[in-house]
Amino acid sequence: MPTPIIRIQNLTKKFGNLYAVDHLNLDIYDGEILGLLGPNGAGKTTTLLMLTTVIKPTEGTAYIGPYDITHQTDKSRTLIGMAFQEPKLLWVSTPWAILDWHAKICGLPTNERKKRVKWALEELELWNDRHKTVHVFSGGMRKRVEIAKILIQRPKIAIVDEPTAQIDIVGKHKIWNMLRDLRDEGSTILLATNELYEADVLSDRVAIIHKGKLLVCDEPKKLKDTIPGGDVIEVVLKENITQEHLAELKNTKRVVNILTIKPNHLKIYLNQAEEILPQITEFFMKAQIPIATIQMNEPSLDDVFAHYTGLTIEEAQTK
Amino acid sequence: MKTILYVVERDFKYFFRYKWWIAGMISMNLADLLIMAVVYTGMVSQEITQQYVSYFVFFAPGLTITALFAAAFMIGREINMEVRREISHYMLSLPIKRWELAIGRVLAGGFRGLVYMTPLLITTITITHVFTNVVPSPLQLLSIVAALLFISIGTSGLSISLAISTTSFEKYITARSVVYYVLFFCSTVFYPIDLIQSALPQTLALVAQYNPLSAGADLSRAFLLGYPPFSAFMFLDVVAFGLVFALVAMLAYMKVTQK
Repeated sequence: MPTPIIRIQNLTKKFGNLYAVDHLNLDIYDGEILGLLGPNGAGKTTTLLMLTTVIKPTEGTAYIGPYDITHQTDKSRTLIGMAFQEPKLLWVSTPWAILDWHAKICGLPTNERKKRVKWALEELELWNDRHKTVHVFSGGMRKRVEIAKILIQRPKIAIVDEPTAQIDIVGKHKIWNMLRDLRDEGSTILLATNELYEADVLSDRVAIIHKGKLLVCDEPKKLKDTIPGGDVIEVVLKENITQEHLAELKNTKRVVNILTIKPNHLKIYLNQAEEILPQITEFFMKAQIPIATIQMNEPSLDDVFAHYTGLTIEEAQTK
Repeated sequence: MKTILYVVERDFKYFFRYKWWIAGMISMNLADLLIMAVVYTGMVSQEITQQYVSYFVFFAPGLTITALFAAAFMIGREINMEVRREISHYMLSLPIKRWELAIGRVLAGGFRGLVYMTPLLITTITITHVFTNVVPSPLQLLSIVAALLFISIGTSGLSISLAISTTSFEKYITARSVVYYVLFFCSTVFYPIDLIQSALPQTLALVAQYNPLSAGADLSRAFLLGYPPFSAFMFLDVVAFGLVFALVAMLAYMKVTQK
């Protein structure tokens, strides 16, 4: 049984009458990357801010290692480093000054500090701009400075909130690799994201959070396997499907569920899709609804999210 | 201790990044001094400033207080901005004790004021020496610097307390203006206490008498001009101001910034 390094127990935060985080219970194990996945407003950032003792829980608590975040705030923070969703930088400062001071306040000795700051700035392609004030930086560059803080600090628990938002795809892969390296060097990583692909490729386990509540937490593959009708056939039709045909399709053998993305765009969740695919195409031919495209997929975390909430992550964000 | 120094170092370095602000402030302070020298000295009755050679000489030590106040107060503006932009979340998430962070910030504001004011203090010492021939002893100089440091720390604490208890920049600026006018115009920074007692209502005159800015300005005058006579109360007043507002700011910073 792995050891939990963070134990979240009934953690709750209320703002007025709104539960931003609603009695959250979760164990995060030493040395893993746990992806906290949910739409904007799900309560991810509020949870992270409570864990870093920046805001106080309304109810419940969490243990960071042996330390209770409600009573041992100073000690809790000695194990934590956080890269924020919105870069927390004073705009008159420079990347070098920001990171050098961060390393200093985290207790790194001078030689190691200079080495790590230089390494992070080079790796994140900020070296040439290290003495420019951050107010001239793009959003992506500021975000890289923010991420560099935890890469330099190498805390026991690294908390990263939307680490690759505003960063191009090459930069994303680089940061993902750096986070994996950080995990391999012994850090536990708590990653909050609303990017399904990021959660899928980076996380050892994914916790899905919606409206402040934990819906499910497991390895991405196991989460996908939990969906009844683990395979997905995605069909785009040339015409809209009628409710009668939809009901008929739902009654087809091995079809477990159908998600209507648009009236002409369906996601059919089913078991053993490869055997039933001919039957599905035949159904549309008989119904005289021409197929524009059809493809067979394994479920994604979006499907897992939809399975547990009845909404796609985009829908959840707008609602 | 090391952590507190790092916090002080950060705020101290940021202060010198606002180059244009500093340039503007220095210009304003020197212009104030010049206006006092040329205009006010001729305008203010000699009877009022008879113990001080001239109004210009009287005002010069007060100028160090105004300069120190402006520089020390600036930390509050930054902390107010940090709270509004949630940069305070970063500061609160750091692996350091909250009281170390809070005291570091208060002290940083204090040291900023002192360092900014130092060239003006040297100018003041030169001016007062030229006009009065008084040469302060090293102990007297040290007392002046210590008193000004306490005023600077108190001002820093006051500005931080205001910064985190006001929700918008506009409210902070308004509060700053109110504090500035009450503290300066009910003090002996600009006018001798005799004039204030004869011109202002008794309550305001009482404020001016016990105002720590009055104590700081008069303590400097006592050692640089030889008048008014030094009293231990002057020093106690500025020490109390420094310690009380440092403590209030620390507690407020620790409590208010963490929601």
